[in-house]
Amino acid sequence: MKKVLLFLALVCLVGFCLNADALDLVFHQVYKIQPGMSVDEIMQVSEHVQYTLFADDYQSTGNVLYVEKTGATRTRKFLRQRIVLGPDSQSPEYRYKDLIMFTQPTSVKGLGILSWSYVDADRDQDQWLWLPSLKKVRKVSAAQGDDSFMGSDFTTEEITTRRYEDETYTLLGEEKFKGFTSEHDNQTYYAGRDCYKIECKPKRDPWYYSKRITWVDKEFGSTIYDEVYDSKGNLYKNIFKRYVVQKVDGKDYYTQDYLEVKDLRSGHKTLIEMEDIKFDQGLEEDYFSERTLRRSKW
Amino acid sequence: MRKRKFLLVFALGLVLTVVSASTVFASEENRGIVYKFWKKILPFDDRLELGGFLKNETSVRMAHGFDEFMKVKNIAGLKVNYRITDWWEMFTYFNWFWDGAYSIEDDRYGNVSFEDVNRKLRMPEKLQWLREAYFDFYFDKLDARIGKQQVVWGTTDGVRILDLVNPLDYREWTIKDYADIRIPLFMGNFEGELLMDGHLQVLVIPDYEPNYYAPAGAPFTLRTVDIGAQGTANAVNQGVSVQTIDEKPGRQFKNTKVGARWQHVLGGWDYTLNYLHTYDFASSAYTAFIFRPFAQPVLQLVRRAEQIDVFGGSFSKTLTEGFWLPFLKGWTLRGEYAYIKGGAMNYGYDKEIQGTVDVDQYNYALGFDRYFWTNWLFSYQFIQLIADPQEEYPGFYTNVFGIPTATENTLLFGPTRGGLDETTTIMSLKISTDFIHERLKPEILVLYTFNGDWRVSPKVSFEINDRWTIAGGAHVFTGDEQGLNGQFDKNDQVFFETTYNW
Repeated sequence: MKKVLLFLALVCLVGFCLNADALDLVFHQVYKIQPGMSVDEIMQVSEHVQYTLFADDYQSTGNVLYVEKTGATRTRKFLRQRIVLGPDSQSPEYRYKDLIMFTQPTSVKGLGILSWSYVDADRDQDQWLWLPSLKKVRKVSAAQGDDSFMGSDFTTEEITTRRYEDETYTLLGEEKFKGFTSEHDNQTYYAGRDCYKIECKPKRDPWYYSKRITWVDKEFGSTIYDEVYDSKGNLYKNIFKRYVVQKVDGKDYYTQDYLEVKDLRSGHKTLIEMEDIKFDQGLEEDYFSERTLRRSKW
Repeated sequence: MRKRKFLLVFALGLVLTVVSASTVFASEENRGIVYKFWKKILPFDDRLELGGFLKNETSVRMAHGFDEFMKVKNIAGLKVNYRITDWWEMFTYFNWFWDGAYSIEDDRYGNVSFEDVNRKLRMPEKLQWLREAYFDFYFDKLDARIGKQQVVWGTTDGVRILDLVNPLDYREWTIKDYADIRIPLFMGNFEGELLMDGHLQVLVIPDYEPNYYAPAGAPFTLRTVDIGAQGTANAVNQGVSVQTIDEKPGRQFKNTKVGARWQHVLGGWDYTLNYLHTYDFASSAYTAFIFRPFAQPVLQLVRRAEQIDVFGGSFSKTLTEGFWLPFLKGWTLRGEYAYIKGGAMNYGYDKEIQGTVDVDQYNYALGFDRYFWTNWLFSYQFIQLIADPQEEYPGFYTNVFGIPTATENTLLFGPTRGGLDETTTIMSLKISTDFIHERLKPEILVLYTFNGDWRVSPKVSFEINDRWTIAGGAHVFTGDEQGLNGQFDKNDQVFFETTYNW
């Protein structure tokens, strides 16, 4: 009996130690990286910023550009809306509900994706699709994390499903970012900005990447650049994220307004530009339902 | 000669596609000349949304050495949405087509039915070019859509269990997307929010259209239509007058059809409860042979749309948690059920109708979907259609003199007039994936009925750029001529599609 109790106590202690660095971040609050934070705390803040968990809701339009090595480009235009919920909301089990509607080109116009993300990190998203070719809402299995997100060079995990709990982190140091030169507009971004350089390894093994090195900007509180290494340890992809700050009710909301990813093996690039970004517009939770998907007519 | 014609059309299409594709690459942000044209002649502000397509669908029968066009269909679609206010919009979808196969292959149907085939399949009839036209009203807790539209119920793909609100256009069987072959009806469609994620939809449908079927002599003429046409011709040759009476519900208030659906998401389970009071879009046939003294005998055929009530429901659930059974995580389970009360079916034996009986139906489907190997989607469905006669019918076929023969009567399967088992079991499997950043999309659909009836439809589509998409594939049908797909055993075809979106 004593052995059992000792074992249970040990399990609790190990569990406590593993979570010792975890912050208890509250939804709808802005967090900034503070000096002295552990690497786990930094990554939690980074995730909070990435999914705009500091806001009540989020809305933007955007363009996705798929650029072939030859320069040939395809485009998608979309409208994205999100309501952030969380444990203190009237629907405490949900993290956020997200709606993406494609508006151009005509071949995909009307395609809508409704996702409900849960606070429980072990629970996958629920997803519904409005498919113009079926004219009905279809409950779908969430795409696998390593699948391409909407045909882009991003994976689904990188855009919608990666959670803080999915990786382990090692702080490699603090350094000034070398800068990223966009192949889209030839501008060099963020050279000399103060960053944390962090190695992130997926807990899932084997997985489509073995590690990524990320640069977390101290001011923005989130990742500005990722180097992603394949399962053999070779660098195969880099991801750049640009931020803007919006003043909302006296608070600074840092949010991504441009993403650029390049697959170094194929030379293919994907660029995502967000426009007309708005926060806290008073979106209602009931808007994020199948009824809204059924409004689609295309 | 035909081979040369086919090659000419194919080569021309290919050249056009490549030339157009290269010019569009140069101006990706540009929505093209067709869009500019419409924007110019419709001088509205940004509240007007326009979109459309030009499409060519060509299919060639495999049976005769690929030298016979089954269709060379050119389709123009125009969709217009006008936002009158923030809560009031108007949408219209015009769809016009012209099938050139009926000019190229005019010697194929060298019989009396060609006129009918040509009229029904070459161009849209009546108001068919107006696919959809409705007003949308959005209120806080209520959406209303009023006008010509299609409403889709259920979770099953490719087989209709609860999807019974709109009739279907079977003139090309079911080889096209259901969204393209559902026949829109004028109706009021009201959907209100009663709970968070709980919605009640009410349909009021004053309009009625029967299913459309290809006339005798067309590529996808149902076997039952062919048998009927032959029977009529034989009767006329034997001096019998044929009288056909269509008993369709008139446009009266008392014939208004109504439907209701409760849809709710509870604990991750998405379920619906459905009710529909409607008329069967496939009419039941009642035949009578009338002898008249000193006059031609009459073969009377009454095609009656039976009033039916549909009670049903559906569910879908993605297993997002795998605590107890980790291997089930990621699966989406779907199902739907419909009890159809008040229908009717013919009985008799193959090709021969003896009479008509009331039949209730219990139909259900179960579906299982999951991604494997990153982006290979497997979608499997198990379907059973159960016919339950509500009255006794004679066990043996009776000849014209009223004498029973040794041939047993069974229920007859509507589309083929072949014998129908009281339980029909169907399985379907669709496998789809994508390559090259979702530009290349192969898929295959396999439909199997447990009496040895098959349909296999592989397809590959390729997105050349934002405007142009090409696709190719085949439809292969196998089975007895009494079967759902076997009746088209000689219709195996390859097809090519080219679409310009603007």
